[in-house]
This record gives sequence, structure tokens and C-alpha cells, in this order.
Amino acid sequence: MSTPVIFDPTTLPSDDNVNSYTFCVELDNGRWFLQKGKMIAYYGQIAFDGIGHGRFERLVRASFHSPLHASDWVVAEGSGKMLLADRAFDVNSFDLEDGNLTIRSGNLLAYQPTLALKQSIVPGFLTLIGTGKFVAASNGPVVFLEPPLRVDPQALVGWADCPSPCHHYDHGYMTGVLGGLRSLTGIGGTSGEEHQFEFVGAGTVLLQSTEALMPEQATGAAAGEPGVPGDPGSAPRGSGPLGDLQRRFGV
Amino acid sequence: MRIIPGGLSAHRPGGYRRTVAMFRLQGSKTLAVDLTGDAVKAKNGSMVAYEGRMTFKKMTGGGDGIRGMVTRRLTGERMAVMQVQGKGTCYFADRASEINLVSLHGDKLYVEASNLLATDAALRTGTAFTGLRGGASGNGLFTTTVEGTGQAAILSDGAAVLLRVTPQYPLQVDPGAYIAHQGSLRQQFQSGVNFRTVMGEGSGEAFQIRFEGDGLVYVQPSERNTVGGDL
Repeated sequence: MSTPVIFDPTTLPSDDNVNSYTFCVELDNGRWFLQKGKMIAYYGQIAFDGIGHGRFERLVRASFHSPLHASDWVVAEGSGKMLLADRAFDVNSFDLEDGNLTIRSGNLLAYQPTLALKQSIVPGFLTLIGTGKFVAASNGPVVFLEPPLRVDPQALVGWADCPSPCHHYDHGYMTGVLGGLRSLTGIGGTSGEEHQFEFVGAGTVLLQSTEALMPEQATGAAAGEPGVPGDPGSAPRGSGPLGDLQRRFGV
Repeated sequence: MRIIPGGLSAHRPGGYRRTVAMFRLQGSKTLAVDLTGDAVKAKNGSMVAYEGRMTFKKMTGGGDGIRGMVTRRLTGERMAVMQVQGKGTCYFADRASEINLVSLHGDKLYVEASNLLATDAALRTGTAFTGLRGGASGNGLFTTTVEGTGQAAILSDGAAVLLRVTPQYPLQVDPGAYIAHQGSLRQQFQSGVNFRTVMGEGSGEAFQIRFEGDGLVYVQPSERNTVGGDL
């Protein structure tokens, strides 16, 4: 058996993976945004402060635009090397160059303040815009694919540059007498794959190799304003196959 | 050139040979131990397969004797241990956790009882007071010590990272990610709780263990749920 590698501040990589589950960030009097509780160890002098901290006002104004997430993120500031990890999931860093990338909110671990974080209009996703490095976790290694393609909602990690993420439902399954019965009562079972996300146009789609999701941080819907999708004012609809009867009958 | 019969032997300064259980990893999640009549202590129920002849004996109270048993009862650092003895190869695994081998040469390893998979029977195990750190990491105020010369196997959720601590490079570790340390280290509980934490603007990293001195710290890429983790 090979002897295990022992790291110290001089041998730890700088802004790179230590192993597939751990990422090392080098801070040189700089700042990084990171999600709460993802730091596992650090060397040096690093302070962690909540986003609400007064002296970060300019920083937050420039690169943090998600009030809903303010309580989940902290700013690491100082000099040293810190290790990031998340529930033994695979961790990878990505570089954006004047680009944009949208990612599931639970998968984003940390990012450089040169990037700006915004809430995506797709609920549950965050968008990063600008130039810089960010660190994301995925359950299993990330797979990069080019559109056009349809992906399973649970396997989707994020996408870059795709202009039109949308839902796709297999319709054939619901047609016919049997299909109608099945969709109304739920009897007969489903394959669980009738619903996908569809991507077209130029860009890259990121997938993880499992359908187990990381616990999601609600990105919530924007407040009920005209023109904002989602209708928070209406009465909640029941779940289950029969729960949606009101819509079927146009109520 | 001398040929050592059996191959699986180590020389002691005294001049006589002692057969030693050979620990090796079969993949990263299974521990294989080659035994030639000697014994290892392992977490109860962690055997997944064996070749040859083996006997398994439950050791009451963590295998530290009567005094150890009482201490473990009192401290809550409970450990269900079995002794495995025989000739052949025995395989151990626990919930697909990653396994890390530690070689001890007379020094002391501090590890949480739940993270200890197997030790050479020649190693002494005991309990030690950890102070405030244990309280915050949700593991009780006590930890398990392993002392002597031989090999031990510890578990981690995801491949562990080994970090060296030297006097000029102290290390801060999240209590939830800490699994073990060895060497002469002082640990100190460090808290960043201030009025913002109380107001709900906590940093999520309010508690850290600071290690100073000379030694090694094992950190896993995953955090247990800790009392301090939410602050």
C-alpha cells in the first residue's frame, strides 16, 4: 500500500482539488463567497462573516444579488488556505470568462467575488455572471453535454449559455383510454421518465451521474408582481393524480 | 541475503519475531487483514468475508478490561468490539465508508469511537477527555485513544485528507469534519460567536478546533451534524 499523502500549507494546491471530494482555496488578502458550513479546515488567518456584515456592503452590492440566500452564504476574508467539501460529493472548480452559468442552488459551494450571483428565473437555480472561478459539488462526476438534448430533472446540475431551458412532457403516454385512466387514477404505474428538461441552441449542459439530489435551498419565487411567472395568490392545488381535477375541468 | 520465513513478520529490537497482522486496502472501502494465528480488534459486525479459519469473539465493553469498560460506560464513548483470531485473510467494511490506514510507532492516535474500524491486537485502546471540542461536535466529551506500535484502520465519509500541523502552521478544523489526530498536538476550542450570531447573521463557521504543535490531523470531506454547525 502506498503511504498516504500528508499535506501542509506549502504542499496544498492553490485553487485546485486536493482529491475528488476536497477543494483547496488560497486566499491572499482576498475574499471568497462560500456557502455556510462547507469549510472543513484552514491554515492561516481567515475570518468568516455573514453577508449582512456592514463592511461588506460594497462587495455584496457588486456580486451578491439574492436576498433569499443571504443567510446561507458567508464571506471568507484573510490569508491562508482553506479546504472546502460537501457531504463527500465530488467537487470541481469551473472558470468562467465573461460568461454565464446557471446552477442548482444546492450544488454551488463557493465563488470568487469577481463573479456576480443572481437568482435565476427558473426556481431553485442560481446564475453566475462575469469572469472568475467557482466551485460546485455533484453527486458523482459531472458530465458535459451539448444541446439539443432532454435531461432528467434530477440529474441536471446546471447549464451555460443555453437560451431556452424548458419543460418537456411525453404526451403519448397520456393518450388513449388506458392512458387517460392511468393519468387520472395513477393506477398502472409510470416509468417516472415522462418529464424532462429540454435544451436547444448553443451552450453546454452539466449533468451529475445520479438522480439523488442535494438538499435544495429554496430560491423561492419573486414576490407576486405582474409579469412574474408563478401565481402565489391562487389557492393551492392538491397533490396526487386526482388533485389536479380543477384544472382539467377549467375551474 | 536473508529470507524471512512466512514473509509476514516484523523484527523487534529484542531479537525475536512477532507475527503481525498485515493491514492492506482492497479498493478504498474494504480492509483486508492477513492473519497468521494472531488477532485484531475490529468494530463489531464489520466482517464482510474471510478466507481460512477465523474465530470471532465479542469483547465486552470495548475490550479495555473491567476498568475500561466502566470508563466507557461512564463517558458514553461506547465501542462494540470483537476480537478476530485465526489464519487466513479477513475482510472488513462498514457502510461503504472510506478506510484510512494509520501506522503507529509508539505514538498515540485520538479517534472518535464511531470512526475506528480495526486495530492490531497489540495496540492499547482507551478513552481520553477532549474538553469542549467534543461537546460541539456532538460526539460527547470523550474520545478514544489508540496507543502502541502497529496498524489501525479508521473510517471516513469520503477520502480523508491528512494535514500536517507544525508550530509555524497551526490548523483550524470544523468540528463536524474532524475524525482523528496523532502526535503531540494541543487542541483549543475557538468560537467566533458574536452579537451577529444571536441576530441570525451567523457565519456557519462559528466553532472551530485549533490544533497547535506537531502532528497530523485527519479531516473528512463531509460534515456531521453538529450543535455548532447551524450557528
